[in-house]
Amino acid sequence: MPVDFEFAKEQEDVRSTVREFAEKYIAPRVVEFEEKQLIPPEIVREMSRLGLFGILFPEQYGGLGLDPVTAGIVLEEIVRADLTFSLAVAYLVHTSWGYVAYKYGNEEFREDVIRRAATGDVWIGIATTEPGAGSDLTGIATAARRDGDGYVIAGEKAYISGVREAKERGVWFPDGGGHVTLAYTDKSKQHRGMTLFFVPLTDPNVSIRLEKEFGRKGWSFGSFVLSDVRVPERYRIGEEGRGFYIAMEGFDHARAYIALACAVGGKRAIELALEYAKQRRAFGQPVASFQGVQFQLADNWAALEAAHALAYKALWALKMEQEGRIGRFEVTRITASAKLFAVQAAKRAIDDALRWYGAYGYTEENPVALALKAVKSYDWAEGSLDIMRLIVAREVVGREYTSKRK
Amino acid sequence: MPMNVVVLVKPVVDPKAAVRFRPDGTIDRSAAKLVVNPYDKHAVEAAVQLKERFGGRVVSVSMAPPHAADAIREVLAMGVDEAVLLSDPRLAGSDTLATSYALSAVIRRLEQRLGGVDLVLCGIETSDSNTGHIGPEVGEWLGIPSVSYVDRILEVGDGRVSVKRLIEGGYAVVRVKLPAVLSIAGTSYQPRIPSLRDVLAARRKQVAVWSADDAGIDPSLVGIAGSPTRVVRMWRVEIKRKGVVISEADPDRAVDRLLEELRKDGVPLGV
Repeated sequence: MPVDFEFAKEQEDVRSTVREFAEKYIAPRVVEFEEKQLIPPEIVREMSRLGLFGILFPEQYGGLGLDPVTAGIVLEEIVRADLTFSLAVAYLVHTSWGYVAYKYGNEEFREDVIRRAATGDVWIGIATTEPGAGSDLTGIATAARRDGDGYVIAGEKAYISGVREAKERGVWFPDGGGHVTLAYTDKSKQHRGMTLFFVPLTDPNVSIRLEKEFGRKGWSFGSFVLSDVRVPERYRIGEEGRGFYIAMEGFDHARAYIALACAVGGKRAIELALEYAKQRRAFGQPVASFQGVQFQLADNWAALEAAHALAYKALWALKMEQEGRIGRFEVTRITASAKLFAVQAAKRAIDDALRWYGAYGYTEENPVALALKAVKSYDWAEGSLDIMRLIVAREVVGREYTSKRK
Repeated sequence: MPMNVVVLVKPVVDPKAAVRFRPDGTIDRSAAKLVVNPYDKHAVEAAVQLKERFGGRVVSVSMAPPHAADAIREVLAMGVDEAVLLSDPRLAGSDTLATSYALSAVIRRLEQRLGGVDLVLCGIETSDSNTGHIGPEVGEWLGIPSVSYVDRILEVGDGRVSVKRLIEGGYAVVRVKLPAVLSIAGTSYQPRIPSLRDVLAARRKQVAVWSADDAGIDPSLVGIAGSPTRVVRMWRVEIKRKGVVISEADPDRAVDRLLEELRKDGVPLGV
């Protein structure tokens, strides 16, 4: 009986612990995240104390050595409590890109940065997008050149999560944070000339600028400029020229978590809207008893159930890949499918659920309304939906049928 | 001065889950998920804080069916060093008198094994029966002082413990000889949420399951036979809310109208 939808007892323990924390400390303050446009630092520090920033890192580096499925369970509980997805971003970006940084970082890097990332002393973000390059990353202008025993990096990254939290020391994280940053080391080689570096945003030669994000306002979103930032060689993540490929692997990770966040967020939005629709009466009966509402609910719930299962399959695929049991391309196909499906299912479900509230739901204080804004970000974040379509089609139809792009 | 602290922990039906009743009105516990009685977690927190301050060991003692071992791991994650689960079919049906006797027997065994127990802590009541009997009764069986409604443990030393105890309209500071039983109120000791590392480590700790014989329990004093309490009937109490608007301008007449409404509903007014 190889297919099993049951979680292990340890995983249930993790879930109940995180749920207790999330219900007690996160849920009551979510509206504040959006209003003040920040996550109260004590919540993040408590997450660090619980070990939530060290889920995947091996115990040898101070982490918990757990697997992506368990990391997903933690994410589920965070999303259930915070439908603005602000904490989901903080958690899933660090979890997926931190893992990739660990995997490809050298021993010195692990001892220096991963050890601190595992305890929540330093946050790890991702920076690939630039003003002139998003889906087509070959258009990036950021470049790194060798300089003695390190590199000097110059360029600009845009629409990046967590720039403020990484820039400031001692507020959310004792040492601030840094972003896994994509740069050319040899532009002539296009995507084969890209390299990833860990760039601490606390560096004085990094300046940040914040955007006014449409939703999920608790975790900052903005750009940063690298004015000849010097990093030691150990901050290079993987070999020179491998940056693009490692980034693609990191996206696979992030997409699996995003798919799960969307599936769970959609379900939670339905649950919350349903609480209201059961109380609210119109035309002599509860709104929830109308078939128009129920059929909508059924279609959405079924889609979310499917998205939920597929998201866990994606996390399982990441685990199988860690164990060398399935290949890269298969993981990419599953994770891209999961994101493609879950984002759309969640957007529709949340949009429909918000309608059950009527005018009452259309406020900045309704978590379901905040969720609608949040999931909209996944039209593009960590790979746009059309890029997901390209990937799935490429892997299913065959690479030899990929349309030629100039 | 390292202290050995025993903390009494009752696995109860999850108060957050829907409770199912049998046709005879008793709670169907067979399918229900068990959790640690929420009131007991304050006692566990107090015990762990004592250990952090003075050193020593914290041992939890529970009486429940064997599958309750899972729920008890929660207190192991909070910092309890070892857990004893007293589990024996002969204990089924025990009321608070029989239960407190059985728990006392375990504590006596632990005294021998640990070379003394300094404090026994428990919650002020349980979420499933709310009697508040167990703490004082354990004190009686062991022949040691017990203090209920303890807000905070103030000082421990010279073979005594002084505590701040909640009383109606204020508090009293009470000093008793050790060993003693303290029922910890849910006021000062907010239970910690353990780190995931501690939660996972708790899975690797053993819950020792003891039979009645392991604890040297006299079978005639436990179970239905040893329990003088009889549950005659259980029924659901429906709490109906209603809103009545009294629109009298004169306060005296408004009060009269209010009293009249309350009397009509049979509310005992004591006047």
